[in-house]
Amino acid sequence: MALFKVNNLQCVRRDNILFQGLSFKLEDGGLLQIDGVNGSGKSSLLQMCIGLIQITEGNISWNQTDIRDCRYQFQTDMTYFGHTNGVKTGLTALENMKVMHALSGFKSEVDYSLILKQIGLAGMDDVLLSRMSAGQKRRVGLTRIFMASSKLWLLDEPFNALDKNGKKIIEQLIVSHCKAGGMVIFATHQTMEIDGYPLQHIHLG
Amino acid sequence: MNLYKALPLWFHKLGALKYFYEISHVISRWVSVICVICFITGLYGGLVLAPADYQQGDSFRIMYMHVPSAWMSLFIYMVMAISGGIGLIWRVKLAEIVARSSAPIGATFTFLALATGAIWGKPMWGTWWVWDARLTSELILLFLYLGYIALQSAFEDRRVAARAGAILALVGIVNIPIIHYSVEWWSTLHQGPTVSKLDKPSIHMSMLIPLLLMTLACKTFYVSSLLIRIRTEILEYECNSSWVKHLLGNNKNVSN
Amino acid sequence: MNEYIKIFFIILQRDLTLVFRNKAEFINPLMFFVIVIILFPLAFGSDATLLKQLTSGIIWVTALLATVLSLETIFRTDFEDGSIEQLILARYPLTLMVSAKVTAHWIIFGLPLIFIAVLTGFILSLSSQTMFALFFTLLLSTPVLSLIGAITVALTIGLRGGMLLSLLILPLYMPVLIFSMLAVQNATAGQSISAEIYFLAGILVLALTLAPITTAAALRIRLS
Repeated sequence: MALFKVNNLQCVRRDNILFQGLSFKLEDGGLLQIDGVNGSGKSSLLQMCIGLIQITEGNISWNQTDIRDCRYQFQTDMTYFGHTNGVKTGLTALENMKVMHALSGFKSEVDYSLILKQIGLAGMDDVLLSRMSAGQKRRVGLTRIFMASSKLWLLDEPFNALDKNGKKIIEQLIVSHCKAGGMVIFATHQTMEIDGYPLQHIHLG
Repeated sequence: MNLYKALPLWFHKLGALKYFYEISHVISRWVSVICVICFITGLYGGLVLAPADYQQGDSFRIMYMHVPSAWMSLFIYMVMAISGGIGLIWRVKLAEIVARSSAPIGATFTFLALATGAIWGKPMWGTWWVWDARLTSELILLFLYLGYIALQSAFEDRRVAARAGAILALVGIVNIPIIHYSVEWWSTLHQGPTVSKLDKPSIHMSMLIPLLLMTLACKTFYVSSLLIRIRTEILEYECNSSWVKHLLGNNKNVSN
Repeated sequence: MNEYIKIFFIILQRDLTLVFRNKAEFINPLMFFVIVIILFPLAFGSDATLLKQLTSGIIWVTALLATVLSLETIFRTDFEDGSIEQLILARYPLTLMVSAKVTAHWIIFGLPLIFIAVLTGFILSLSSQTMFALFFTLLLSTPVLSLIGAITVALTIGLRGGMLLSLLILPLYMPVLIFSMLAVQNATAGQSISAEIYFLAGILVLALTLAPITTAAALRIRLS
């Protein structure tokens, strides 16, 4: 039983308190949506959750251990997808996926073509990302959640630049990951269509 | 309570910005008093009582400003790097503030050392600037300071700026001995000895005591101006906390 | 351990591939190097004896400036497209991946620079001892330039561009310049250069040990 817990968290950016006293927890199968207006600290919260931004007050724990004390274990169990795609436009889809697979620790044998097909980019293995549209680049970036096969996903605006079909694919992925016992935290202001799966909600600002 | 237990507690308390803000006011005032006394007696001793140098005449008297400034320039860089390191490792806010506030003072002392060096050089060497090893190292040190200050102003978030600056100061502190040594080697190979410096340690008591007094004056000046800067910086750091808001008279219109 | 070596080469290969697909990034600093060297004879006149005295110094100073210009490429695109975040969050030490990136920068920029510098020296008819010293000092120093440069780039990436970077980096480059030029001048005068070479080697070892760790720390700070 995994547990992701945020306790009494405060976020200060440029001398402004974005939020304080924020607490929530997520267990197996938990699905959490963070929303709020621009500048309310959605991205900052996610970046605090992955340990990029220093925590000034409060704490975040993974399986009862502070994430600052189990950085390696936590990074192994977690995949982050930010509002930038984290892919190189000078490489092909396949090359990008190979790098992502390597960075996630060669966790399992993966079939690159199959993953591309699942994400709606069938047959585009050897196309340079600089030739792709914004939405297609975003999809290539999203393939890292297949590669890592980790327990906790943290997605920042995953639906940006995606079309209706792309959004649907990601929604289905999220729900099936949760049904299989995974956890997902994502920030978006779009409404999710997830057919009655229980959704936790945090509103910032 | 014995000292062993009391010291860490006191340290912890000192690290609390509110407590520091309160006591630093008193300390700053007393240190300023010492500074003024040392400055006046040191200057009187150096400019009036001390005899003229048998080689350099009266022009050596600028030493009483030049030498302490040069010492301070290195000393403050050390303070900056060490407190920056403490802030980086143990996340002590006060240490971050000390490092950030020291930089402009250190840069000023470095500039002062360079300027007095040039003024001293004019009667001694007949020219304002000579590529002497110490002056050159001092000039490079000034650029290290200016780089640090430029980096501080480039960041929007002052805590991130403090940590980035700490890295730069630590890289600088590793580099300073290398820079110093390389420059010394370079100038001995190129220049040859250009100046007859003061005869090494055999400096007369009537010259030494004013020098020590001036050094103390510079040190205390650093401490008192540092405290003033720290107090301002503390208010900026803690502008969201209740005690600062209370201090500012519950004025709701005070902008951050 | 094996996995670490594999990751090192994957990152190295990725960076090299990217540069060979975008050759301007690779050629521009080298072009800059050659053009600036041409400026000096135009400024000083074509007096051969004067130029001969200045040539090695000109080559060295220009190499420093070209390095500063090329440094930003280490992290710039990674910073813009979010790859840096993914490197930080990867399951391997950031120090390792930073080392790979710095190595890539040296292969792309430092290595060609050495050869172009020696070639320039040859065309400007430097003596063979001088060229030998030039080659050796550049061989030992260019990795140091990349390593120390990476720290400051990591601190300043995405901030106010190259001006701040050069202000921070040039004071740190001075010892390397001084030792290298002393070696070159000693060689020209027919003296031994071993002392300077040992010093440069010492600085290289120091930079190799400390710089990647510092760069990794600086990147984490820059991204927070």
